[in-house]
Amino acid sequence: MSTNNPTRTSYETATPSTGIQAFRRARKDRMVWVYVVPVTAVFLFVFVGPLIYTAWTALHETSYYQIGKFSGLNSFAELFSDSELPARIWTTLVFSLGALVIALPAGLLSAIVLNNLHRFKRSVRSLFLLPWLFSQATAGTIWLWFLNPNYGPASAITQALGFGPTDVFSSPNSALVAVTLMTAWWSYPQAMLLFLGALQTVPVELYESLKVDGGGIRHAFLNVTLPHLRNTIVSVVIVLLMLYVQMVTIILVTTRGGPIGSTETLSMRVYNQMFDRFDLSGASATAILLFAVNIVLTLVAIRFRRKESL
Amino acid sequence: MIKKRWGLALVTAVSVSLALSGCSPSTSEPGGPVTLSYWDFLDPSQDNPRSKALKENVANFEAANPDIKINLSVVSLGDMLNRLPQSAAAGQAPDVFKMFTPLVPQMASAGVYSPLPDAASEVTDWLRPTDTFAGPDGKQVAVPYEYRTCALYYNEKILSQIGATVPTTYEEVVDVAQKAAAAGFTGFGTGFSDTDNSAIISTFFNCFMTQVDQDIWTEDGQADFATQKAEEFGNFLAKLRDAKALGSNVVSDTYGTVADGMASGTVAMSVMGTERIVSFASQNPDIKWTALPKASTGDTTGTTIGWTLGIGSGSKNTEAAWKFIEYMTGPEAGAKMATGGEVPTRAATYEQPFFSTPEAKTVNDIAAYVKSNSEPRTYSNNWTSLATGLSQAGQRLTLNNLSGSEFIRSAQDAANKK
Repeated sequence: MSTNNPTRTSYETATPSTGIQAFRRARKDRMVWVYVVPVTAVFLFVFVGPLIYTAWTALHETSYYQIGKFSGLNSFAELFSDSELPARIWTTLVFSLGALVIALPAGLLSAIVLNNLHRFKRSVRSLFLLPWLFSQATAGTIWLWFLNPNYGPASAITQALGFGPTDVFSSPNSALVAVTLMTAWWSYPQAMLLFLGALQTVPVELYESLKVDGGGIRHAFLNVTLPHLRNTIVSVVIVLLMLYVQMVTIILVTTRGGPIGSTETLSMRVYNQMFDRFDLSGASATAILLFAVNIVLTLVAIRFRRKESL
Repeated sequence: MIKKRWGLALVTAVSVSLALSGCSPSTSEPGGPVTLSYWDFLDPSQDNPRSKALKENVANFEAANPDIKINLSVVSLGDMLNRLPQSAAAGQAPDVFKMFTPLVPQMASAGVYSPLPDAASEVTDWLRPTDTFAGPDGKQVAVPYEYRTCALYYNEKILSQIGATVPTTYEEVVDVAQKAAAAGFTGFGTGFSDTDNSAIISTFFNCFMTQVDQDIWTEDGQADFATQKAEEFGNFLAKLRDAKALGSNVVSDTYGTVADGMASGTVAMSVMGTERIVSFASQNPDIKWTALPKASTGDTTGTTIGWTLGIGSGSKNTEAAWKFIEYMTGPEAGAKMATGGEVPTRAATYEQPFFSTPEAKTVNDIAAYVKSNSEPRTYSNNWTSLATGLSQAGQRLTLNNLSGSEFIRSAQDAANKK
């Protein structure tokens, strides 16, 4: 009877192999920790730790890099009572969104060009990637030289054309436009690479079907390319926004936040507070605000992502 | 798998040990060989007289002290200001570093310095008092390495072209600058950019305040200079602006770009440090220098500034560090650095044979000028805020049409802002 019991038979015959499987699974489960623990440790070390430390310093008086007594929310009170804060937030938004508006289409266009290119693909790709190969400091320095009103090539060109010398860093508006353009120029290859990867996953058959149905390039872009790139666009927006909101180097090299604070984004303000005024507590409070701005912008971007892909 | 785990453990152990060794302060055995870390803004590998003199001085010191090696790091002033407080807080300050005079008290407040050893008090022939280089506890933390002050530079050719003579008052500077501007030059070169720590405007301000006998700080360190005397400085800048005699890009000009403009013959006049005398002479023979124009007080005496040497906080090699500092500020090294146009700081240095040679004429002239036309100043611990405030006030003066008194008040407020 017992031999007719399939369950028991199965149980009895399967016991050794199931035991081995269970053992293997347990071992596999334990192995997961080998991967999880280092990642968690690194995450705690490079993100959670500094975040807590930043919040901690924001809540204390500081003298240079020495943390003093607990001061509660004084740093935040000072931050939010600063009459210049709204202007800094506005500058951050104009700079970040401005660079995004330029870099996103530039990256997409470059990716489409590269994806459809059959000859000189490597050369063109290298050319498009060139800005990103420079460090931010190098990129800023190159532009600083190029736009120098005394000896920069841009001045030579504008003067030859009958205009005056380029003087972009001497006026608040033109300085902000200049650093925004430089940042977009430096960062668009990042968007291009992400778009290029996504474009290569779009089935060619869809374009062929559309062609058979009489669709043109515009229809192909709107009805095939864009829908397939939607999530990539959101990812690119998030990546670039984070980059722009946290951008310091290009601004530091070119304007250091001037003239009269017109290019001082929140990140630049953190830098200036930290290294110009040595106000660690105030810089930490601004950094927390910057973190909050980053989260808000990212959440807004994620809302546009398709639910099924989350 | 075991191999992989051991590999992982090994990599981790190596990484941690490397990281820890990179973070640990340099130590030395008593009496054994010592390697001193030294931060200087000059790059000894560059092909200019000052760099060459530095390179030779370091090499000569090492040759005379075989147990002491110098590990020189080239760090710009801006980077030093950022990195020194951080490295000191982490116990990683260099054994010896150079620092600009007005910034010594600020860096001392940041805990960057070790007090100088007792042996430092045995050197008594400094040409200027050294009590201005004290930390918060009153102990001396630095000694002067090089002296400089401000001078008026002018392009003789441009002045001749516009039929002007060398101005001797600030009122005359405005007139000559206006004429030069009308002839297509930048009449008076200065800059309000803060990308180079506001070097040109803060240096000029520093000298001008001595000229008008205006203190910058109260005894408790608060900036307090917005007086009628200081307004003269703001008014001078405002008059230059109104005369359209400032550069079109004065807002973004730096010490370097103004110097470039002088060297290339596009700037008619400027007030800059005496350290430029030698380089200007070699770059453009039309550039001449003279004493500062008279302020309303009739005074042409500026401020003695320059570079200093000090020992980093937590240095384990203070004895060797002082030995190096003593050598670098001493007669032999001083004579060598003078060949690069720098003005030595000790009386004994001027007894070296070099100073009796015709080649030493320029540096002797500069030294005599610094001696007769400058006075040292005691600084507070917020020079960077003041310098940035001056730049930003200058930007507002240009872009928002501030008056001279508004300029001064704006700079003072910025200096006192936390």
